[in-house]
Amino acid sequence: MNILNELIKATLETVYMTFFSGFLSVIFGIPLGIILYLTSISQLKISKVIYRIFDVIINIFRSIPFIILIVLVIPLTKLIVGTIIGPKSAIVSLTIAAIPFMARLSESTFKSLPKEMIDTAHTLGMNNFEFIAKILIPETLPKIVANITLLLINLVTYTAIAGAVGAGGLGAMAINYGYQRFRLDILMYDLIILILITQIIQFVGMKIEKIIDIK
Amino acid sequence: MLEVKNLNLTYDGKNYVLKDISFKLEKGEILGIIGLSGAGKSSLLKALNLLEKPQGEILFNNIDLTQLSRKELRKFRKKIGVAFQHYNLLSRKTVFENISLPLILNKENEIEKKVSNVIKKVGLEHRKNAFPAHLSGGEKQRVSIARAIVSNPDILFLDEPTSALDPKTTEKILELILKINQDMKISTIIVTHEMDVIKRICDKILYLKNGKVHYFGEVYRFFSEFEKELNEEFYRDINYNYGKLKLKNGKIIKVIFYGESVGKPVLNKISKKYDITFNILYGKIEDLKNAPFGKLILEIEGEKTNEFINDLKEHVYALEVLRL
Repeated sequence: MNILNELIKATLETVYMTFFSGFLSVIFGIPLGIILYLTSISQLKISKVIYRIFDVIINIFRSIPFIILIVLVIPLTKLIVGTIIGPKSAIVSLTIAAIPFMARLSESTFKSLPKEMIDTAHTLGMNNFEFIAKILIPETLPKIVANITLLLINLVTYTAIAGAVGAGGLGAMAINYGYQRFRLDILMYDLIILILITQIIQFVGMKIEKIIDIK
Repeated sequence: MLEVKNLNLTYDGKNYVLKDISFKLEKGEILGIIGLSGAGKSSLLKALNLLEKPQGEILFNNIDLTQLSRKELRKFRKKIGVAFQHYNLLSRKTVFENISLPLILNKENEIEKKVSNVIKKVGLEHRKNAFPAHLSGGEKQRVSIARAIVSNPDILFLDEPTSALDPKTTEKILELILKINQDMKISTIIVTHEMDVIKRICDKILYLKNGKVHYFGEVYRFFSEFEKELNEEFYRDINYNYGKLKLKNGKIIKVIFYGESVGKPVLNKISKKYDITFNILYGKIEDLKNAPFGKLILEIEGEKTNEFINDLKEHVYALEVLRL
């Protein structure tokens, strides 16, 4: 009974970490992707400089292994959350790892928009905001949903890694019971729940994608 | 209405994509821009649209578009409608929503009414709630044209509007373009590589070759003057060498009819007058926008062939002796 309670608690923690950091990554990652995209298609010199700067920063963050990133952002985590233990603190490092990932995914998705659509926006006299709101986002929405699905599934895995260094959740439980106390049964339960979470995210993501994609 | 003066476009400051383009378009005229792939047709349309920044002047109602700031230009674009070869419709918006887009951007009122009118004009009432993915090519082009004309522009640019369509649909779209041109008195520039489009609906033609204007002027004049070149470049017909025909020893002449002379039995009358017998080697008649255009190649025999030729010259659009 105790174990069951713990499993439920760990599951909730994992879901909480995944979705909270997922939400933050979308909020920051997609606009960053839009900036990358707009500066990459612009002919202005200043745009090229801005693109270069973001490009380098994103590459740096994406090349840091997640487990090391957690350690690197400890001061920031302490500043924001006040502690470095628990699901809440894990969200900081998860979000910082996921934003560049989301930005890159968004950038490449936006680049799939036919160049002629940009011409169309110009000939209709659209400004940047109108272009983003009326063409860029709506036209790529099914792909954006697929990106978010991918992001969330990656975050589930990342929460397990974060669990190894005190984040809690299913990852922590797997290490505590399975690795340190040889409770293979609990490790199995843990794994089944992780697989279920992943399957559900994938299923719901694809369903939404199908509904909004008009073919 | 629209006057282009010495327009140049280079991509790296050295290689000219467009060189010294000048032409004029009056209100209500349809101008066809034709040329082979790589001749600069699309670049010219992009330059006229200011999607590429050219040197030279583009005077639109006496305002030089190349001198406008980005913001001024954005406002100005309402007066210019553009329909694209690949339609460029918003895939997740219905026909109605797609067409209403320019009006929403311009913050106009009575959008519902204006869009309904245009939908009726292009004949898509039954498809107004359909999504682009469920439309045929012809229907998509209708939506694209509707979107281009909904804000009542002064000028309409059509980029290869029929290139992706079958002949029957092409004909329907051309009819629509003509109807819009007549109803709205809208000046139209149509870029195409199809000669039939030019013949069917254009008043004037701009023939581009290697980024330069090879011909600009009336359509019928173009077809009689550039015939040989056209056959080589657009139809891939072999220009038959009538001179080598050894049927009899008669003279071979080419006669071009345009306008009134097509409907008259000129040839019969004049040949009787000089007692000439003729043998038709080739004959063709086509409909240009304003009048029919015919071509005959004849072998003629008789005593007074020179007099016959001189007299006939007076009654037809053009006459050329191919073999003496």
